[in-house]
Amino acid sequence: MTSRRIGVYICHCGGNISDYVDVPAVVGAVRDEPDVVVVRDAMFTCSDLTQQEIFSDIVEHRLDGLVVASCSPKLHTFTFREMARRAGLNPYEYTQVNIREQCSWAHTDDPQGATRKAISLVRAGIAGTRGTRPLEPTVVETTQRVLVVGGGLTGMRAAIGLADLGLAVVLVEKTATLGGRVGGMGPMFPHGRVGADLVARLRDDIGRRPAVTVLTGAELVAKSGTYGNYHVVVAVGGERRELAVGQVVVATGFADYEPHIGELGYGMPGVLTLPELVSRLDSSHGPLLHDGRRVGSIAYLYCVGSRNEEHSHCSKYCCSATVHTALRITERNPGARQYHVYRDMRTYGRNEEMLTQSRRRGSLYLKFADDDPPEVAREHGRLEVTVRDLLSAGEEIRLPVDLVVLVTGMVARQNRELVDVLKLPVGRDGFFNEIHPKLRPVETVVDGVTICGTCQGPKTSAESVASGLAAVTHVGAMLKRGVAELDPQVASVNPEACNGCAVCVEACPFGAISMVGAPRPAGGGHRVTPAEAGSGEASPGGLVAAVAATGCKGCGACAPVCPTGAIDLAGYTDAQVTAIIDALAMDLPGPEGRTGDVVGPGGARLRVAAEAPAEVVR
Amino acid sequence: MSTVVTSVLADELAVLGGFDAGVCMNCGVCTAACPLGLDLLPRRLLRHALLGMAERVQGESEAIFSCLLCRACEANCPAGVHIAEDVRLLRRWLLGKFEEAQ
Repeated sequence: MTSRRIGVYICHCGGNISDYVDVPAVVGAVRDEPDVVVVRDAMFTCSDLTQQEIFSDIVEHRLDGLVVASCSPKLHTFTFREMARRAGLNPYEYTQVNIREQCSWAHTDDPQGATRKAISLVRAGIAGTRGTRPLEPTVVETTQRVLVVGGGLTGMRAAIGLADLGLAVVLVEKTATLGGRVGGMGPMFPHGRVGADLVARLRDDIGRRPAVTVLTGAELVAKSGTYGNYHVVVAVGGERRELAVGQVVVATGFADYEPHIGELGYGMPGVLTLPELVSRLDSSHGPLLHDGRRVGSIAYLYCVGSRNEEHSHCSKYCCSATVHTALRITERNPGARQYHVYRDMRTYGRNEEMLTQSRRRGSLYLKFADDDPPEVAREHGRLEVTVRDLLSAGEEIRLPVDLVVLVTGMVARQNRELVDVLKLPVGRDGFFNEIHPKLRPVETVVDGVTICGTCQGPKTSAESVASGLAAVTHVGAMLKRGVAELDPQVASVNPEACNGCAVCVEACPFGAISMVGAPRPAGGGHRVTPAEAGSGEASPGGLVAAVAATGCKGCGACAPVCPTGAIDLAGYTDAQVTAIIDALAMDLPGPEGRTGDVVGPGGARLRVAAEAPAEVVR
Repeated sequence: MSTVVTSVLADELAVLGGFDAGVCMNCGVCTAACPLGLDLLPRRLLRHALLGMAERVQGESEAIFSCLLCRACEANCPAGVHIAEDVRLLRRWLLGKFEEAQ
């Protein structure tokens, strides 16, 4: 092995590590490791100051390898890769060693053991770094077309935004028409804009953009391909259309919470949900009637199916929607008594003005305790709501009313097929999960799949559109570069060593390995599956496996199943992993007196496996 | 004890005109500012009137007539309720009831 020039940095993490791990002892233990040129400890390795120090060391000591022993690679891998790149060191010559989550935090009861483990882990990191080599990302051109799933307000607005960026858009809607929920709505809060008008305007805007192809009555049924270049299949009108797209935007909306029969009187005449009341208002003129009689009193029961054990979230639009509806009823049924039986009013932001206005115009607000919900009964043919009103010193108040309106929230829409096709991350509440609610609010952990609108959680229509436009920005920023850089830590096959058995083809979860015709040394006892035999790719020399670098995710499933060791994963080669295991197996003097357990390279891996972190030795 | 809420009191107050305690947000600053120190005045009284507890309000006539109309409550009300005016209205309503009974 050629000699290397490796720098090693051990982090105190302000005590998170050094309270349990003897950091100077770790520094001392690895100082004389072969190939290590510089070893330092730092209070916070990720601080600007220490990064600058590492930067200077890379330049001054001409480092060609870097080991940072601090926290989980989830936190700062990109921080240090970027720093290395700036200093002129290939980012893939750097190794992150986790001595916090997997060492100091896990062994707070055993500082000596934690210190020994940290030494082992750092030595293993150095051993792996000896085998690194510079890697460059694979650059691929991206497809300048976006698939938008869901033709409601959010999906329509996103499609227009994407088209205006110069991208082609395919807008797929499951139902027969565009518009979604908002398309069926009358006046919406806070300004009374009519939902159907908003949607009609968006539909016109889409019609004026030839870049947008609308497919209604259509469903996404398959997705394959790689980052920036996906192949999707859309079932529309009994046929399957195949499309090449660079990104997928999901805007599939929400479902209304459906009360159970009997829940707060649901099922009794005169008890209806807020969406049912709104739709009655939208589809009629003049005073609101019930049973042919003008409605004179209404009780709104808030938070039905929200903020409880089944649905712990607040749907945040329903308070404002109810207050807005009450104001509409004040117009249509002047003098009607309206009682709002609520847990907490959340008419946040400017919607608070509607709340004040509704109070001024006669709406009465009664607050119940979380554990003491109102009850609905029918007395003498009339609906009656009983509530213990906290604003009247907990007095039990009975409200005889004509209508009881259950203010239901948003719940996740059941969409199993789409979840399966896109592998969407679904949260415990059933909504799709973004990576980071504040900083990466529309990205998902699935490459190339962006979410927006109410499919990721309750939102008002304004918030949904804002989130749709966030998706436009994110997708546009990615696709408008024209190319995507793919992680170079992918598998590759040494065709000389491949015997053509195709076991790796089966092992690859991403379908990135195929058998290709290539000159292959004669004599290998290879077998070809019927599928490959029929592919017409066979050459006289037989077939060998080949990994499509753009399809490989670097998971490593193929490497260990290869019987001839022909597959290596860049960044995690067999040679590196063996060196890491050997380093972990190296004996350490300790209080248990295990000095007799001298372990040679590869000799006693199983004996130490139990002590090594599970993610390194399986 | 439970109270059935009806719209009678509200309707009658509406006829007298100007009862504006509906915007009350139940903060209780008025009660804290009241020099009489009666628990009832003015927040709970206004709440009873708002909810339409007619009999209850009639039973509270002594408190209603003890009010000094000093407006300490009103000066501090964040919702801008004209509390003294509302108390005057309740007095007029009570007098009306009294005259009816005669």
